[in-house]
Amino acid sequence: MTREKLSGAEIVVEELKTEGVEVAFGIPGGALLDLYDVLYKDEAIRHILMRHEQCAAHAADGYARVSGKVGVCIATSGPGATNLVTGLTNANMDSSPVVALTGQVPTSVIGTNAFQEASTFTFTMPITKHNFLVKRTSDLPKIIHNAFYIANTGRKGVVLVDLPTDILAGVAEVDLHPKETFVGYKPNIKPNQVQIKRVVEILANAERPLILAGGGVISADAAVELRHLADFLCAPVVTTLMGKGAIPENHPFCLGMAGMHGQLYANRAINECDALLALGTRFSDRTTGWQLDQFAPDATLIHVDIDTAEINKNMQVDIPIVGDVKLALSGILKLLEKKREKKSGSEWEKRIKKMHEACDSCVEDISREGASVSDILIKEISNLLDDDAIVTTEVGQCQMFAAYYYMTKKPRTFISSGGLGTMGFGFPAAIGAKVAAPDKKVVDIAGDGSFLMTCQDMATCVENDIPVVVCIFDNRYLGMIRQFQELFFDKKYSQSDLGITPDFVKLAESFGCYAERVEKPEELKDALNNAFESGKPAVLDMIVGKEDKVLPMIPPGGSITRMIGTERCKHI
Amino acid sequence: MQTHIISLLVEDNPGVLTRMSGMFTMRGINITSLTVSPCEKEGLSRMTVAIEGSESELEMVRKQVSNLIEVVKVVDLKDEEAIIRDLCLLKVHAKDPEARSEVMQLAESYGAKILDAALDSVTLELTEEPKKIDRFVDLMRHFGVKQLFSTGVTAIGIGAGVER
Repeated sequence: MTREKLSGAEIVVEELKTEGVEVAFGIPGGALLDLYDVLYKDEAIRHILMRHEQCAAHAADGYARVSGKVGVCIATSGPGATNLVTGLTNANMDSSPVVALTGQVPTSVIGTNAFQEASTFTFTMPITKHNFLVKRTSDLPKIIHNAFYIANTGRKGVVLVDLPTDILAGVAEVDLHPKETFVGYKPNIKPNQVQIKRVVEILANAERPLILAGGGVISADAAVELRHLADFLCAPVVTTLMGKGAIPENHPFCLGMAGMHGQLYANRAINECDALLALGTRFSDRTTGWQLDQFAPDATLIHVDIDTAEINKNMQVDIPIVGDVKLALSGILKLLEKKREKKSGSEWEKRIKKMHEACDSCVEDISREGASVSDILIKEISNLLDDDAIVTTEVGQCQMFAAYYYMTKKPRTFISSGGLGTMGFGFPAAIGAKVAAPDKKVVDIAGDGSFLMTCQDMATCVENDIPVVVCIFDNRYLGMIRQFQELFFDKKYSQSDLGITPDFVKLAESFGCYAERVEKPEELKDALNNAFESGKPAVLDMIVGKEDKVLPMIPPGGSITRMIGTERCKHI
Repeated sequence: MQTHIISLLVEDNPGVLTRMSGMFTMRGINITSLTVSPCEKEGLSRMTVAIEGSESELEMVRKQVSNLIEVVKVVDLKDEEAIIRDLCLLKVHAKDPEARSEVMQLAESYGAKILDAALDSVTLELTEEPKKIDRFVDLMRHFGVKQLFSTGVTAIGIGAGVER
């Protein structure tokens, strides 16, 4: 610790540097002039000027998910802070570590409806893991340190620090880099050994074990342990949307994503298993279907999660383990290897390998009859991108096409809005992803509806030389809504037809992006090459069938055992 | 539906009450009584929250409240393991002398203090467990309760143990 006399803004920047922050996504404002003055003089932190605060939050979120580090976003008081809300809620729902700094009116006028005042502290309480309203400049070192500590430990999430102008402008003599934390904050890290033993007992004797991998596997960096366990048990791995990438989808034991828009055989395997090990997942209804008694009815349910509050919340389980997924998995493996030899060649293993061959995200081609233009395009994108490429998605049909068909090989390469389902997420998240991994290709799988919600940040991409590629599945519909109206509301397309939407090629070009229209799937390969070759941010406007549907699916309210639209699936 | 009493040890920071009550609100759980006061440790406060809900709802909300950064400790206080008290102030109609003496006699038998007496009313204080207070108040309703104030429940575990 070093004692220094600094302004609040200087303290904030010093502490950000200590936390290892290299980049922040934000927009300045009246309440943040002092902070931006320090950022101007200090070049250690790269600031990327966004064009909307929602995008700043999504970019920080995307950056965090790709890098594994805390993402930072900055917005001014009032409208700046209210605009952040969607992005922060999104990050928090998906347990993505983000620290948000917001400007605030001076402490002397808080609560008076001052210009650009909003009660950020109050309205961000339910959408963050924790938040602070700073009342004294001298509190800043402890608060900034704790913001990062809380965001990036336990179940990761969003921490917001609200900074009144007089706190930023004020000067205090402070000890920088404190280690002090909250007495009541003790994230559960170490799993209970007794529970581990119980789990090993079940898994060692299970005939048809199955692993359900959620986002927790990725955020705990436990992909290696997961693969070892799957190999040792000869157990199939199915994932949630957030868990995509936890295991390479071409691994013979991977059956792809389970759930509402999941793979037919991922869901079947859940039905058939006799022990289900769920890792870092909250059993969302998108994964389980809505009839919980029909989810893995014959299985002993084991649930490993770092958040105590997730245990028995959505699903009653037989054996819970609270703790870090990586530690739990290594603990299980260690005991299991002592207990018995690896057994292979079981009937279950044979069945899994067959199921794997029927899995659309796990195999290279879908040259089947009846595949739609969207089906073909997304599989083509999957084949054209290398294993390190990062795919982000918007929300809706485009997202579920990507989840269903895109073969993810590595953790942190499939970035999607899982919990909140935020249209407009994919493009700014791609910006954050590209900043985190400038050497990797970054592609946003978009819909025309979603892209219009945040496309103004093409300006950010061009200005800051962030060459992401947006592939728009352009059907001039809010496609998922249209699909539901077709299937469940008697084809009454209430407000889902977008009518005349902009010429995305011209729109992108006007921002200075590279753009091309893809009228037919066979044009995609060249277009994608051209986009990457251009070295610019790029938009590909891919014309898809207006009535393309994401199938198979579990109808809303349905059971995981009953998928509709399986006619086009490969049956075994 | 059952009434549960939860005792929370929390950091004494602005906003901690909103944060805590927000958790209950989010799950649609009604808080029937809430007291907040300083405790034996500087910088910490103790909150006693009475809520109505099922066992599983309680379990869920208890875990979620424990997750709050500023919550140090959460204890679910079962009736049989805790001393639970509420302080109640009430003003009772007592114009006619007969009613007046009856009110005073009943008050005495319940251990209530007579704080003030006017020509047409008597003001009483009773510190007791909530059930006993309910019974007393019901009795007083025969005479007519003009005003009723209650501090809400506070509770402490029995025996030498300290919940932490």
